[in-house]
This record gives sequence, structure tokens and C-alpha cells, in this order.
Amino acid sequence: MSERSMQQALNEALAEALAEDPRVLVFGEDVGRHGGVFRVTDDLQRRFGEQRVFDTPLGEAGIVGLAVGLCMQGWRPVVEIQFDGFVFPAFNQIATQISKLRTRTLGAFGLPLTIRVPSYGGIKGPEHHSESVETFVAHLPGIKVVSPSNPAEAQTLLGEAVRDPDPVVFLEPKSRYWARDDSMPSPVGEYASRVVREGADVTLFAWGATVDRCLQSAEFAAEDGVDVQVVDLRWLKPLDVDGISTAAGKTRRAVVVHEAPVTLGLGAELSAVLMERCFGDLLAPVVRVAAPDTPYPSAGLEDEYLPSVDRILLGIQSALDG
Amino acid sequence: MALTTFNLPDLGEGLAEATVIEWLVAEGDEVARDAPIVEVDTAKAAVEIPSPVSGRVVTLHAADGETVAVGAPLISFEGEDQAGIVGTVPPEEKPRRRVRLQNPKQ
Amino acid sequence: MVIVRALNDAAIAMQRQGTLYGFAPCTGQEAAQVGSAVALDMERDFVFPTYREFGAMITAGIKPGELLAHHAGLYDGGVADAAASRVAPLYSVVGATALHATGWAMGAKLDGIGGVAISYFGDGASTQGEVHEAMNFAGVFELPVVFFCQNNGWAISLPTVRQVAGGSVAARAAGYGLAADRVDGNDVIAVREATAAALERARNGGGATVIEAMTYRAGPHATSDDPSRYRDIEEEESWRERDPIVRARELLRERGEADEEFLAAVEAEAAAACEQARRELAETPRPRLADRLQLAYERPPASHQARLDAWIAQEEGIHV
Repeated sequence: MSERSMQQALNEALAEALAEDPRVLVFGEDVGRHGGVFRVTDDLQRRFGEQRVFDTPLGEAGIVGLAVGLCMQGWRPVVEIQFDGFVFPAFNQIATQISKLRTRTLGAFGLPLTIRVPSYGGIKGPEHHSESVETFVAHLPGIKVVSPSNPAEAQTLLGEAVRDPDPVVFLEPKSRYWARDDSMPSPVGEYASRVVREGADVTLFAWGATVDRCLQSAEFAAEDGVDVQVVDLRWLKPLDVDGISTAAGKTRRAVVVHEAPVTLGLGAELSAVLMERCFGDLLAPVVRVAAPDTPYPSAGLEDEYLPSVDRILLGIQSALDG
Repeated sequence: MALTTFNLPDLGEGLAEATVIEWLVAEGDEVARDAPIVEVDTAKAAVEIPSPVSGRVVTLHAADGETVAVGAPLISFEGEDQAGIVGTVPPEEKPRRRVRLQNPKQ
Repeated sequence: MVIVRALNDAAIAMQRQGTLYGFAPCTGQEAAQVGSAVALDMERDFVFPTYREFGAMITAGIKPGELLAHHAGLYDGGVADAAASRVAPLYSVVGATALHATGWAMGAKLDGIGGVAISYFGDGASTQGEVHEAMNFAGVFELPVVFFCQNNGWAISLPTVRQVAGGSVAARAAGYGLAADRVDGNDVIAVREATAAALERARNGGGATVIEAMTYRAGPHATSDDPSRYRDIEEEESWRERDPIVRARELLRERGEADEEFLAAVEAEAAAACEQARRELAETPRPRLADRLQLAYERPPASHQARLDAWIAQEEGIHV
């Protein structure tokens, strides 16, 4: 596999989806002619035509609601919400419609739609462009949530998301769009997590933008004689409960790292799951390294706010100390 | 690959031109966005100009010591179009750390 | 307007130099913004911008350095004290602020202060659902709001013809029982007169107006956008002929109200404003994260504060 960026990998995944399934539609703001503000949908309109790849007027509720209606007529929309902070106008459609429609219609209408959201921080963006929304959507029944951490994962997971018969929210770490690597697809099962670094002393659980930071922290930890295992959750809903428990059971100490504020973040769910499954095995409480319970700060303060290598190392220390 | 030319930006203070003191990149170099590319002298101060894009430098439009008018071509790049509408591409650099772990097992 | 244009250009230069992370210029829209804001009574009105209203906010009294501080990532919103300045922070998730304007107008009406809310948004934002709710609420409750839509032809890469069904934001006012005025947004006098009339109507209990100022986004959406990907140079050139500043200058010359001395003085004032803006930005204190984190609650619960203090203490431990 030659080097490529996540943006390129996502572009390829979308092209494959459009080619494979004539019912796939790609739409959102600036995704057609412009190719998307991060170029993820670059050139797709030229290749597949305006009927299948198109720009909508501005309105997130409109975009997501349109997708719901299209599903009801047998189409398979892959929509883009331009930035994480903009998903909230669509939240009514997500929470009251997408979450519930299959149940309300006694199974008549499944919703095979995918909502792609450039997510998380790390790009010195203005307000509302650096949010972590995974908890809001993962909490809702009937919705699946996934977040890739490298280009190969992005391509594999977007393909899986589009082919999934259920609604999937696809959270793309925008700070990783441009980083190039020659990552290969990982041979894990459906909805599985992935051990990206084996280790014996403590497990770091992360997804999306924080996986790389955890790997960097693991390298520093190795210098200090601590052997850190890193797990990329990939699927946030459903959580790979078996995989997570096995990993935590092996090291008997666990740290969750996420950019979202700590209270009621996904780390809370992981802690509960590990307590249910591994309570007897754990030598320390699950540690959460996350942001404080405040709005995301202005760009100049971002580096201090996000989980840094130092804070992750302190989290590891806390797990070691029990 | 796109060829894009950037002009000397308005450096403020009503100045209409600047003199190249020293190029910090050469033709053929790969440059990251925001990396300093040239030091210029305005009538008031020496100013470093950061690269507006990532890409390969194709042409430097002025030699060291030459004066460039504001709005005149300064540098041309060939590069992948990786502009987003907002945000800065994070630098690919290894972070530094201050915390050292004490391993109770040892 | 000349000052606003000069400041815009300075901000773009500052972004190229790395002083600002990004900037959304209002080049070409100076008449729409300055002309409308100049009609306001800042003792009792309130301004609700979206994110491109650099010109309107400065005209309403915000220091350019404050707006630049937003773009430099020092604090969000570009307004140091929104309550004192009566200008709400700028905001990128478009549409929501129209409702704030409507809500404030309801409060102002209840208090009988005679103030009017002006809600600034673009043709793109006008299709967001909350704007429609705001107009409908303003109609039902007969509220003193001016919905000032700058139709600048583009929402990033989407032209208005594919954004606004029916082609006119002003036409929607009738649907909500509101007055409407479609005006040449590049004619600063026309804009001021239209805004003054709408403000007067609102103050006299005549309810809200939708003003659609027809203008053009002469620059990119923001500093890292490249408009050549989606629009023609011919279109940009044709709007240069309708440049609001050029038109205003010609008008003043025709009326004998501006000689070369006056125009030179204006340019000098603009240059001085840019100097001052750079200075204000440089003098803006760099924020401390620990201070910013205290702002979430008016009355922070003890458990929240304890957790926050522990997180902050951890960072300070690292620095030691």
C-alpha cells in the first residue's frame, strides 16, 4: 500500500460505494461542485453526476431529514455535516426520527444512511469547529457510531458504514485528514476494536484523533520501562465489549483517553462495561483522561485543553499506582 | 498538481514594497504551510513571511536584495490542494513530554 | 467604509503572516454593513451578527482589535464585553442568532425601552430553519426586529440561485406578515435610508422588517478558501464595477462634498486605524486557560468546581 492521506482514503471509499451501489447518493453543503471543504468528496460529482452527488442549501436539519425521506423511498444517502459543531440543528432528526423510525414503523422502514462528520479538535479552528459529539449520538438507540484513526481504517470503515443496513454516524478526525501513511486494513471482525500496540502493563483505550497521541505516549512510557497496550475502539456503538474486556483483562489496568469533556463522556460507558466484565481482574479503577467540563476554548488555548502526552502519562501513572 | 503563485502581501503600515533580505527556502524545496519562507525588509522592520500553503517551491520571483512591490509575484508553488476552509494542518512533529513514569513494579 | 476595507486587507495580510489563524473578509459588503449600522441608536438597540459582520460591528462601536483577537484565537466571538457594547459575539453555526434577536426584542418591548434588534445574516443562513422560526415569532408577537439579510451571492461554493428557493429573501417577509425592503446593498445611502425606515417602523410599534441588501462577496469565504474553484473571474470583475466605495466616492465628488484633500485624509485615517488595530491586538492579554475554564456557570456546583480544580492542578503539576 503506498502512502496516502485519510482524505484520499475516504474519497476512494466514497467512489467505491457510488460505483458499487446505484442507490448511494452523496450530498451536503459544498460537497458537489467544490468537492467538500476538506476535499473528501473531491471530483465525485464529475465522475458520478449531479443527480448522485449534489449540493444542498444550508440547513443541517434539512440535510438529515432529506436523508430520512430518501431512505423511505429505497435510496442509500451518505450525507456530510460540514463540522461537528453544526450537527446540533440536525439533532431533532437524529434523536426523534433516525433513532426511532424503524421501531415506530414496526420494521417497515430501516434507514441505511450514513452521516459523515468532520470531528474533534487539533486544527486551531474557530468556535464550534472542534467538537466531540460521539456521546450524544451513541446514547441514542438504533444508531451505530464509528470513528477511524488512520487512512486504511477510514477506507474500510466508511465502506462498512455505507453497506450497513442501519444508520451510522461516521466521525472523521479532521486533524488527521492530511497525515499520510501506508497503513494496511486490519483483519478484525465486524464491529471489532483493534489492538494497535501490544503491551502488558496498562491499556489505553482511544479512537479517532487520540489514537496517535496514545501511541506517542506509549513510546515515552517504554522509555520509562512501562509496557503500554493501545486499543483503537473503532466502533463506539456498538462497543466491542469482548475485545475491550480481553485487552483490559490482560493488563489489569485501563485508561480511557478522549477529547470530549469527562463527565458522561464515552469513558464513563467504558468504565461501567469494564467494571461489569473485569471487576475481579482490575488492579486499579479505570482512569479517564479527558477534557474538563467546560466549552471548548479558543484556538490559542487548545493545546492545553486537549489530552496531551503529559496528561496521558499522568493517567498511566494513576493506573499504575492503583 | 496545481501551480499557484503568491504575491507579496500587504504588510501593513502603508508600505508599498519590501526588499528580500534572505530566502529561507530554495527552488525545489518541499515546504509546509506556515513555515517561514523569506525574510523581507520593509522601511520599518525585517519581517518573516510564512508559507501560505504546503507544496514544492517552483519559482522564487525575486533575488536576495531585490525589491518587490506589494501585490507583485513573490513565490510560486506546485502542490496538492490541501486547503480546508478553516483550520491549520497540525504539524507532524513528535511531541515533547515532561512527565516521567515511576513504575511500582521495578 | 474605507476604514473597514483597509482593516479587512490588513487582517488578510495578518493571516498570511501567521498572526491570525483565519479570517472571513467582508470585502465588497462595506456599504451594506456600514450603511445599516450607522442608522442604529447604540444607546438602546442591540446588534446580532453572524460571522462576516466585521464592518457592522466596528461601526456599532466594537474595537477592531477585539475582532482580530477572535481570529487570533485569543477569545471567541470578537466582543470583549457583549453586554456593555450591545453587540452579541459573532457566531459560525448560522441561523441561531436570529432567534436571539427576536427574543431580545421581546424583552425590550416588555421593558418599553424603544430599542430595536438588528439580526445580520446572509443568503446562506437565511435557509436555516431557525431564521424562519425567528421571523414567524417576530410576526406573531409584533416584535421590534430588523432582519438584515446581506445577499452576497454565495454561501461558500453555493450560489444564491441554488440556495434560496423563489429567489428572494425579502419576498419571504410577506409570508410572515412582515414588511420587506429589497435594496441595492452597495449603495450606502440607500442602505442607511432603508435601515432607518425599518428602525422607525419598529420603534413605532409597526413590527419587524426584512431588509434584503443585494451585494457581493468580493473575496473568498475565508482566508483558506479558493473561489476560483467554483466561480468565474468575469463575475468577480463585473462586481468590481459596482464597488460600494468607488460609488460612494463618485457620489461625494459629484455633490462637491469631497475634494482630494478630504479623500487623502480618509486614506490616512484608514491607515491609522490599521495601525491601531494591530496595536490593540498585540496588547490584548494572552488568556490563561485556568481563568477561561471558570466561565461555564454563574453558580458552579461544588462537585464541578472540585473536579475542575483537580484538572487544573494536574496541569500546573506538569509545568513544575
